[in-house]
Amino acid sequence: MVIARIKPIEEILGFISGKKSVLVVGCAGCTAVCLAGGQREVDSLIVDLKDNKGVIFDGYTMERQCEMEFVAELDHLIDGFQAVLSMACGAGVQFVAERFPGMPVFPALDTVFVGANREVGQYQENCRCCGDCQLAYTGGICPVALCAKGIYNGPCGGSRNGKCEVDEKTACAWCQIYERLKDQGRLDQIMNIKKPMKWKNQTQGTLVQRGYEKFQQD
Amino acid sequence: MKSGSNLEKVLNSGKFAVTAELGPPKGADPGVIKAKAGLLKGFVDSVNITDNQTAVVRMSSLSACALVSAGGFDPVMQMVTRDRNRIALQSDVLGAVSLGIKNILCLSGDHQCFGNQPYSKGVYDIDSIQLISTLKRMRDEKKLLDSDDTLTGDIGIFIGAASTPFSEPVEYRPLRLKKKIDAGADFIQTQCIYDIELFKKFMERVVDLGLHEKCHILAGVTPLKSARMAVYMNTRVPGVIVPEKLISRMEGARKGKGSEEGIAICCELIEELRQIDGVRGVHIMAIEWEQAVGDIVKKTGLFPRPKIRG
Amino acid sequence: MNIDTKKIKSMLDRKGRMKIFLSVCASCGACADSCFYYRNSGDPESTPSYKALNSLGIMFRKWKKLDYDDLTAMKKLIWGKCVMCRRCYCPLGIDISSAISWARTICRANGVYEDFSEGPSGIKDK
Repeated sequence: MVIARIKPIEEILGFISGKKSVLVVGCAGCTAVCLAGGQREVDSLIVDLKDNKGVIFDGYTMERQCEMEFVAELDHLIDGFQAVLSMACGAGVQFVAERFPGMPVFPALDTVFVGANREVGQYQENCRCCGDCQLAYTGGICPVALCAKGIYNGPCGGSRNGKCEVDEKTACAWCQIYERLKDQGRLDQIMNIKKPMKWKNQTQGTLVQRGYEKFQQD
Repeated sequence: MKSGSNLEKVLNSGKFAVTAELGPPKGADPGVIKAKAGLLKGFVDSVNITDNQTAVVRMSSLSACALVSAGGFDPVMQMVTRDRNRIALQSDVLGAVSLGIKNILCLSGDHQCFGNQPYSKGVYDIDSIQLISTLKRMRDEKKLLDSDDTLTGDIGIFIGAASTPFSEPVEYRPLRLKKKIDAGADFIQTQCIYDIELFKKFMERVVDLGLHEKCHILAGVTPLKSARMAVYMNTRVPGVIVPEKLISRMEGARKGKGSEEGIAICCELIEELRQIDGVRGVHIMAIEWEQAVGDIVKKTGLFPRPKIRG
Repeated sequence: MNIDTKKIKSMLDRKGRMKIFLSVCASCGACADSCFYYRNSGDPESTPSYKALNSLGIMFRKWKKLDYDDLTAMKKLIWGKCVMCRRCYCPLGIDISSAISWARTICRANGVYEDFSEGPSGIKDK
């Protein structure tokens, strides 16, 4: 899931400074699950922003902002507002902005990573969307997302007591990879040199799933 | 001969090699480089020029190499993959070779969060092992990564790599060293060694794997200046273990005599390292203390340095 | 807890088309196979048509008499047994997921929604 966190309130207030009416738009998808931008957070952001006297706030939460059919629910609501604060990930904010090109749409969240729910309220980064999954040979531990240098032939010399040189609380991903492969009897997986990555995420991504190409051309 | 560098010649001749480290200045004054190099003149076979070490911006390794090269030194250009992608790395390798730089040491580099630009975007397009194989391809096949176009000119490079024997997982380190050698490393410089017994165990494994015959291994040493530095190295620097007895020796040194004791310890370590099977030289990393190098080299009988023709 | 039935009515009125759609559901069950939730659980309440008829369908039928408990009961169905993947298929062309989605939106407008701060309900119920 996409993980996000709310921006500092001062930054949000800066975006909407001078606006007389603001629509706060929540997303009931990923950002609701990670407790950053669902209905609950829309309500509490409006409470926080209401100190800002003389400005009219309203809230609306849709299923997800990354689907145009849901974004379209705003069509009849948006008139009369001078700005929209989107509480979706970066994809959702852009879809809302695309739907209403004349309307200033501001992000209320910082989208931080693709991660997993470790515990309620606690999330861990797991994926950098590199476009060429390496987990097969690394024992299911991602060297791109979890190694500070994102190296393919680790560990570098910076591991200390199984921790990463950047932070003594953060595990060294390559130490973990080594241990897991060792336990599975698969150390041969990291004995050969892994060749330089052919980066495929350096141009604007679009994806049409197999079987849908024909549909796309119509 | 792969490069004809002085370091390569000394190592091929079977003589015990001595290299040292020189950190470029935080500024544009070539005089600093010349002064530091002057302190090393005649005491080393080759001098490593660090590449923005600890992620602090300094004069580039390439230009500092060109400066010491003009001063008659054989530089080892250190190259980290933190700051440049494969386009810039390969381009700088061609530029370095054209300037007469013959030794290149491939590293991943300290993470950018440690330096004075902590919010920079780390590149790490390729890692140190991939850089080694890239250099080997450029030298042996005259080709760039993923390209079949032939490069012009002679590309002689003596390819170096680092090894940190005591970083975890310790039992994987000799195998990772093997990966570096398989990738094309001609020489290895290790992280600084203080614990001889542990290092002997590492080298036994290296010799068992036959790696010492495929590649020249130089053991790293760093003279201690004080007991505080010994403790710091032991607890804070990954892959460095300073045995308790060396820390007590530094603590026992009389006031103002810490650096003397540090140099004495360093000389003893070198004597012991020379006896270890598979060790072909030492790499003296006297951090911002280039004056110490001459002392150490003289006291260990490694002076004068061999002059090898051809 | 009070709910605003007038607001519900006005929201329902905006989707009059959905009322017609739901009224033509023949309960043929063809949509069941398109729902991974149903296919995995075999639970008849997971059938897309069941979920739509017992949320938005009920809202259309008895909007005036709806109370908070009704919406809470729907919540278990339309959040607990649907991930809004939108792959449900109806041979009559009923847009089932839009109906469920609109039921969710109406619930949210009345303060009934999934609170993830207590963990995902699907896991909690087990």
